[in-house]
Amino acid sequence: MTAPLPLPRLRLIRPTTVEAAIAARADCPQHEFLAGGTDLLVNMRRGLLAPPALIDITGIAELGEMRTTGDRTRIGALVPLARLAEDPVIADRHAALQAAAASIAAPGHRRLGTVGGNLCLQTRCIYFNQSAWWRAANGACLKSGGEVCHVAPEGTRCHAAFSGDLAPALIALDADIEVARPGGRRRVACADLYHEEGRAHLRLAADEIVTAIEVPATATRSGYLKERVRRSFDFPLAGVAIACRIEGERLSALRIGVTGTNSRPLLIDGTDALLGHRVDESLLTAAEKLVAKQVRPMRTTLFPSNHRRSIAAALTRRLLGTLAAPETAAVRGPSTEGP
Amino acid sequence: MTQLAGARAGVPLIDGIDKVTGRARYTADLDHRGALVGRILRSPCSHAQILRLDVERARRLPGVVAILTGEDCRVPYGVLPIAMNEYPLARGKVRYRGEPVAAVAAIDAETAALALSLIELEVHELPAYYEADQARAADAVRIHDDKPGNLEREVHHSFGDVAAGFATADLVRETVIDCAEVNHAQIEPHAALAEFDPSTGRLTMQSVSQVTFYLHMMLARCLEMDESRIRVIKPFVGGGFGARVEVLNFELVTAMLARTAGGKVAMELTREETFITHRARPQTRIRMKLGLGRDGRLRACECEVVQRGGAYAGYGVITILYAGSLLHGLYDLPAVRYDGYRVYANLPPCGAMRGHGSVDTRHAFELLLDRMARELGLDPFEVRRRNLLHAPTRTLNELAINSYGLAECLDRVEAASGWRTRRGRLPRGKGLGMACSHYVSGAAKPIHWTGEPHAVVNVKVDWDGSVTAFTGAADIGQGSSTMVAIAVAETLGLPIEQVRVIAADSATTPKDNGAYSSRITFMVGNAAIDAARRLRTLLTEAAARRLERDPADIDCTDGRFRSLSAADQGISFTDAVKAALVDQGTLTVKGTFTCPPEAQGGKHRGGAVGSTMGFSYAAQVVEVSVDEDTGRVSVDRVWVALDCGFAINPLAVRGQIEGAVWMGMGQALMEETRYLNGMPAHASLLEYRMPTSLDSPPIDAMIVESIDPNGPFGAKEASEGALASFAPALAAAIADAIGVDLDVLPATPDRVLDAVIARRRRERLDALAGGRR
Amino acid sequence: MFEPDPIPGKRLLRIRLNGRWREDAVADDQLLVDYLRETAGLTGTKTGCDGGECGACTVLVDDDPVPSCLTLAVRCEGRSVETIEGLGAGGRLHRLQRAFHEKLGAQCGFCTPGMIMAAEGLLRRCPDPSEAQIRAALAGNLCRCTGYVKIVESVRAAVQAGT
Ligand SMILES: Cc1cc2nc3c(=O)[nH]c(=O)nc-3n(C[C@H](O)[C@H](O)[C@H](O)COP(=O)(O)OP(=O)(O)OC[C@H]3O[C@@H](n4cnc5c(N)ncnc54)[C@H](O)[C@@H]3O)c2cc1C
Ligand code: SF4
Ligand code: FES
Ligand code: FES
Repeated sequence: MTAPLPLPRLRLIRPTTVEAAIAARADCPQHEFLAGGTDLLVNMRRGLLAPPALIDITGIAELGEMRTTGDRTRIGALVPLARLAEDPVIADRHAALQAAAASIAAPGHRRLGTVGGNLCLQTRCIYFNQSAWWRAANGACLKSGGEVCHVAPEGTRCHAAFSGDLAPALIALDADIEVARPGGRRRVACADLYHEEGRAHLRLAADEIVTAIEVPATATRSGYLKERVRRSFDFPLAGVAIACRIEGERLSALRIGVTGTNSRPLLIDGTDALLGHRVDESLLTAAEKLVAKQVRPMRTTLFPSNHRRSIAAALTRRLLGTLAAPETAAVRGPSTEGP
Repeated sequence: MTQLAGARAGVPLIDGIDKVTGRARYTADLDHRGALVGRILRSPCSHAQILRLDVERARRLPGVVAILTGEDCRVPYGVLPIAMNEYPLARGKVRYRGEPVAAVAAIDAETAALALSLIELEVHELPAYYEADQARAADAVRIHDDKPGNLEREVHHSFGDVAAGFATADLVRETVIDCAEVNHAQIEPHAALAEFDPSTGRLTMQSVSQVTFYLHMMLARCLEMDESRIRVIKPFVGGGFGARVEVLNFELVTAMLARTAGGKVAMELTREETFITHRARPQTRIRMKLGLGRDGRLRACECEVVQRGGAYAGYGVITILYAGSLLHGLYDLPAVRYDGYRVYANLPPCGAMRGHGSVDTRHAFELLLDRMARELGLDPFEVRRRNLLHAPTRTLNELAINSYGLAECLDRVEAASGWRTRRGRLPRGKGLGMACSHYVSGAAKPIHWTGEPHAVVNVKVDWDGSVTAFTGAADIGQGSSTMVAIAVAETLGLPIEQVRVIAADSATTPKDNGAYSSRITFMVGNAAIDAARRLRTLLTEAAARRLERDPADIDCTDGRFRSLSAADQGISFTDAVKAALVDQGTLTVKGTFTCPPEAQGGKHRGGAVGSTMGFSYAAQVVEVSVDEDTGRVSVDRVWVALDCGFAINPLAVRGQIEGAVWMGMGQALMEETRYLNGMPAHASLLEYRMPTSLDSPPIDAMIVESIDPNGPFGAKEASEGALASFAPALAAAIADAIGVDLDVLPATPDRVLDAVIARRRRERLDALAGGRR
Repeated sequence: MFEPDPIPGKRLLRIRLNGRWREDAVADDQLLVDYLRETAGLTGTKTGCDGGECGACTVLVDDDPVPSCLTLAVRCEGRSVETIEGLGAGGRLHRLQRAFHEKLGAQCGFCTPGMIMAAEGLLRRCPDPSEAQIRAALAGNLCRCTGYVKIVESVRAAVQAGT
């Protein structure tokens, strides 16, 4: 072996049932679940974590299923992102979800990457997503076991940004996340899966695993817009998902989910105040302001925080304006591959 | 005429099949059996005295075979004989974060990594400077003891009467432009494989180098070895763009480890380390001042350039000289003043990158010219046309211009882009911009002046009729070996398949200065033609003897030697070879090329830099869409024409033009290297954003052939000239689209948005002021 | 004191590599790219980055182009893995290889194996892709030489050449 950056030595545990997977985690909470590996393996090669073993969950058949019933779509945690991006039923019923999936990373990652892995993606920060040499030379920060945050040295928390694309769409679509734990399953609203703390952004106990998402198929228009420098590979500088309903030219339902700006994906508060109004300039401005006020981008990327805030606001205005236009039913992502 | 005749599509690369089948072996693919793994310990600090570097614990680790520090590196190196101030491993002091301080060779990667972690480094930190103006401050600590003010080199050149020029101009404008530092980011990470045989004292080095001769020389120098004991072989190389035109620390370190270990050492750098090795285009601030007449004539140019060069000299002196000297040679400029400052900083050393030295100043020049044309109500194409040169001529700074196809380049892109009908009529948010650029076809004066020819090519024929060309020129993907094959085949009237090229192996091929400053086609191409002509003469004579005719009566085409007077009299190429081999045996002939002294630039200090046998010329039009809400700029299409003198291989020329334009686009739109307190914040292909297939436009590449009197078949360079005009054309297109003038590169969404916000604020203030009035 | 860890357990990996089944003892932590290059000796597959950022390592796993540097070798158990060396039969060039050669889709050639495998994955799913589909399918493969112009042309030419 001469190639630099091998994985640290590890053992692979390959359960075939959800119960066995969480039992393995309960045995040793340092073990990590391995799904597509497109986040975890990169992080491990950089030395961000060195679990003694990986619990490879890809052998659990149940997690790979996707089912559509009358009013819900149930998507197993192992469903690959590419499948969401390409499935016509998803595009039809949950356009925001399709658009978000199609915007993630690059085609190869979407084939390996899974829904569960995307929801449980590590938060990101320019001081954290670096090699071991880099972090040691620069001095460890809170998230890598040090005493201080390089982004906000006065504070006591980590601001690493949640940068997954699916979560805002699921938040807008009012999806639930199903979590398995020893002795049973629980469901949480997508936004409630997260904390505003970059070191521990997931509200999951060590012995819990995401098993599926359930998306209600209500009669809403939805879409997702993501801004990034390149049209491939790049994580969102900001991403905005909106689901809304227009009845008699007036807004009767509105949910906005935002990613890339905080340590968790946000459900924007206060959208109720906009209901019952026409989607005109002043409503769009109000929606834009709601978002600009609630997002808290910090200097966790090389892009200025104020810029990420402006973008989140601008995307909100654009997406809501487009969704409200009579001719639009949805804002989908490009159907990337296949005929 | 076989390859060059008729409507030519060009020929595929002679080593293309190896590449598409995966058979091509790049350095990391070579036979690593029995190799130790080399790894480098890098400095955690930006600027510090090394107080203690203790490798004893690492040395005791089982499996560690060799371990080196700066103590083992007695001799400094560097690409310029006048500025060798770098050691393979830091001695006494570290000057940037990531600088190599120690190295190990161990039985495997894991042991090597463990060994590095056992090395103890104790330092005394010094103040560190990450910006040129901090480094130049009066009280700044010296990064190199012999360089006060941390100034590596300052250049002051003045040609023509600058003051008078500005006095007669109708419009004088000045602007300050900031260009971010960028990197070559070739897709192949750095790697080297060195093998030392203690029994013979011989070293064999294989590496990603673009300059195997320099590597050979520096290995001998730093290892204090006899040159003749060293062999340097270039395997397939996955791109260079200047990253590998100077000898790099890891190459020397790998060889030193191999010698210490008495065996074979493989070194593969991570992408992060490849970025840290750097040597690319520096962060540059340009103050550009132009004087223009209402008639569109340029009257004077004054330009100040400050380059943040990083911690070591590298090519720095050349870069700062190029930045000034290549203000000349594109347009007819009556007066030019240039002040250049190359500054040391505690960052990875900069170096040469495609378009070396010319790109950022050209950007500032073209951009300002565009704005001034707008102010005077002149069309950007017209302004350029009013300032064309006429070949042959010499510029103010004594650069020889022997061919000049810029006028035709302008016509071609103007027509192809529909400029006259579309410019100014696109919807808001869409815009067109244009600009021009040029580049040298090889430096007319080599850095290591030895009195040797600029290029040597050997051609061998043997009993089997096969022709083999030997060249030291490093093919790094640009297709230089294919160019040599075509030149030889064409001259001998053979199909290209009959010519083999052996390249860049010091044991068999003649010395060559390497793949830089776009010198290969011009110099090596001419040498190849010279060799093939000499061979043709020998074969013609042999054929004449065999046919019992006068050599003057013999012509060589299509693989045959024929009598001109008696058409039925002729022999095949192979028979001519057999005839020539009688009494002689295997024939090897040598061809050379030397730039005449009058091409080697002015007599002023630094006057050789920029001098060349021929300039390529380019004009391009860029069409953009700009999203004023997010600041995103998309390039929709590019039309570019390049005067490469003559396209020896049109397929490869188009490929080079497209690649150059695209690389210019990366720099203009999104690429930049940034540092957080000297830590590289861009050192991955995720943070160093090069455009993907979805960000890249169709590029209409057009070839203009001005037939250079000295070029091989009339050819000049083709791979750098089109780069520098992209960024200014983009800036002009953005201005056309949304009325915003950007003073910074790259045009990332945040910078564009800031400019949009500034424009809106200005408009509001103007409206208020108007209202009050 | 500083002994390297003992050699960890390996398991038997059975995969169909370029059409032929083979078995190797493979450590759990071995990446597919390292397995291909070092265990199987297939150096056509390249490494261009520190993980997941360039696409040079793209291979087909059960017809899907994926980055082999983000795939554990042992997870390919029982599956079909194809690399650049597996394209083209009996010394004949595969149509994509021929097109990349003739249209100069490969300059330095370092991105080429990954690029061709990504394109092959596309053509298996979608025999007659539009330019937009070609660009989308190659969006995970960086090339520093070509500006993608001739790469897109090469894929188109391969489509025209048929199988
Ligand atoms: C170059 C690059 C670009 C990228 N760009 C984007 C982007 O634009 N947008 C984006 O969203 N992502 C991006 N990613 C990240 C990643 O590819 C995706 O987020 C992907 O969806 C992760 O899924 P996975 O299955 O590969 O996760 P894994 O890597 O397998 O897992 C990620 C984390 O989730 C945990 N996990 C996985 N499954 C479960 C489960 N069922 N229950 C509980 N925990 C679980 C793992 O333990 C791990 O901590 C990018 C990655 C790379 C390398
Ligand atoms: S936000 Fe602060 S603590 Fe969190 S990763 Fe970044 S630097 Fe570390
Ligand atoms: S090596 Fe770069 S993505 Fe795998
Ligand atoms: S051909 Fe060189 S990177 Fe693509």
